[in-house]
Amino acid sequence: MSFWNFLRPPPLDPKLKLVGSTAIFQNCTRQELETLRLYLHERHYLAGEIVFDEGEEGEGVYIVASGKFRATRKGMLKKKNLGEILPGECFGEIALLKSSCRLATVVAEEPSVAFAMFRSELERLADARPRLGFKVAVQVARLMSSRLHRFLEGETDTSILS
Amino acid sequence: MNQENRPSHPSTLEHPVIWIGVIGGTLGSIVLLDRIAWLALPLILAVVFYYLVHPALVRLQHWGLAPQHSLAIFLVLASLVCVVASLTVLPAMLNSLNQFQSNLPETMQRLTQIASEFLRNIEARFPMAKKADLAEGLQARIDFFAQGKGTQFAGDAALFAFKWLPSLLLVPFLTFFFLRDGTAFHQLILRAVPNAFFEKTLLLFDRMNRQMHAYFRGMFWLTVLDTVTLGLGLWLLGMKDGTFSFQNAMLLGLVCAVFAWVPYVGTAVGGLIAVCVCALQSPHDPQLLLGVVLLFCGVRLLDEFLYTPATVGRALHMHPLVSVMMIFAGGMLGGVYGLLLALPLLGIFTVLGQMFGEIWFDSRLRARHAARNLLEKRLASNDLDL
Repeated sequence: MSFWNFLRPPPLDPKLKLVGSTAIFQNCTRQELETLRLYLHERHYLAGEIVFDEGEEGEGVYIVASGKFRATRKGMLKKKNLGEILPGECFGEIALLKSSCRLATVVAEEPSVAFAMFRSELERLADARPRLGFKVAVQVARLMSSRLHRFLEGETDTSILS
Repeated sequence: MNQENRPSHPSTLEHPVIWIGVIGGTLGSIVLLDRIAWLALPLILAVVFYYLVHPALVRLQHWGLAPQHSLAIFLVLASLVCVVASLTVLPAMLNSLNQFQSNLPETMQRLTQIASEFLRNIEARFPMAKKADLAEGLQARIDFFAQGKGTQFAGDAALFAFKWLPSLLLVPFLTFFFLRDGTAFHQLILRAVPNAFFEKTLLLFDRMNRQMHAYFRGMFWLTVLDTVTLGLGLWLLGMKDGTFSFQNAMLLGLVCAVFAWVPYVGTAVGGLIAVCVCALQSPHDPQLLLGVVLLFCGVRLLDEFLYTPATVGRALHMHPLVSVMMIFAGGMLGGVYGLLLALPLLGIFTVLGQMFGEIWFDSRLRARHAARNLLEKRLASNDLDL
């Protein structure tokens, strides 16, 4: 081990590494991610368990830590499968912007772990650190815009994942 | 199930069972807190300090400091303030207290004299008051109190202080642990909440937190407004004869505003103190005394119709009738405790009632929880090869 290793900061917590790799928080600095740690709520889901329902009022965003989730939406005749949500991806981000109805039902496909982040807590954080709030808001807008484009181009239906 | 397809339920707090629960919970808590007052007082004070200090700690954490570092900074600052206060303000306060103690017999004598004179004047004008022997009766009662009951009262007061001192010493200790472990405790409780109710519970915590913050912030602004109004009023009333300096008027205003934390009774006690101080400063100025009484009545009205609705009332979103009824009921059940705690406890139980209603009447959430239990059972059966 070199002497200078002593001056290096300790490695980032794997939880925060994962959060930092998601689309919404990818522009956050290490210090900002450390602050986010206070607001991460770890939730464990069994295979087949519902995370939230379509039409339910949403209060926060979920980041998949392990396992697999599936998003579905009611169709005219049968359920429409919107796709799988894998580790490092997030869902429910529209709830970060406002308290609105969930647009899809998300179910755990296998035993899974997700980190939930609550809108009100993030809003308070954004009040105290506007730069962080701005970064998160811009990333949520970008994510939604890219999903809308993909949806309009008919590539996939994931614009309604949130 | 879509939101629009769900069966509609009455707005949660309109449900009579929840209303009864909210009122019963509030009054029950007042009775319980009154029973365990020795422990409840430091707990309540620690919660108040927690809510006053916590926003500052959160701000430090938002700037990138670890929770333990922000707490350490606060402790260092608090210790510094204590040391500086004990070196500067405390000796002056002790000196004033000493002076007050040595002047107390003379002050009491003057106050008795002023009150007797006032009552004699009333007796001279109204024959009915003369029949009641108001001045003589007051003198006899004061003599009786000073000779017998007074010494007993002083002993009781000393015993009271001795009993409550250890309880008050708990306050900084409890506040420290609330600040240090509050977030972890919050997370621990949330971890125990089933997934189906998780978002609603987060919402509940958030609303309760906001309610408490809003109440304490409201109380702070109410105290500031009362202090300024009373202080300016007293200063203007006494300006002609130079009865009060600006600082003294503001200090008296602050003392009365703090007494006003106890609804109704506190304002009366504060008013009495202000009248006594005015009577001592200018004993032969009945106009000043009348002015002070009118000032307190005016501030009471301002409090009731302008300040409280604009600060605490708006923070708690409560109907004035409900607030007043709960304050009286709290006072009957828990004395000063009840008067002080009725509104904040009502605020907390209202939020709890709302959230309970939202969860209890949401059949989908309960079904989801039941499904999770079923999945757990199935998993256990599979593991056991049943």
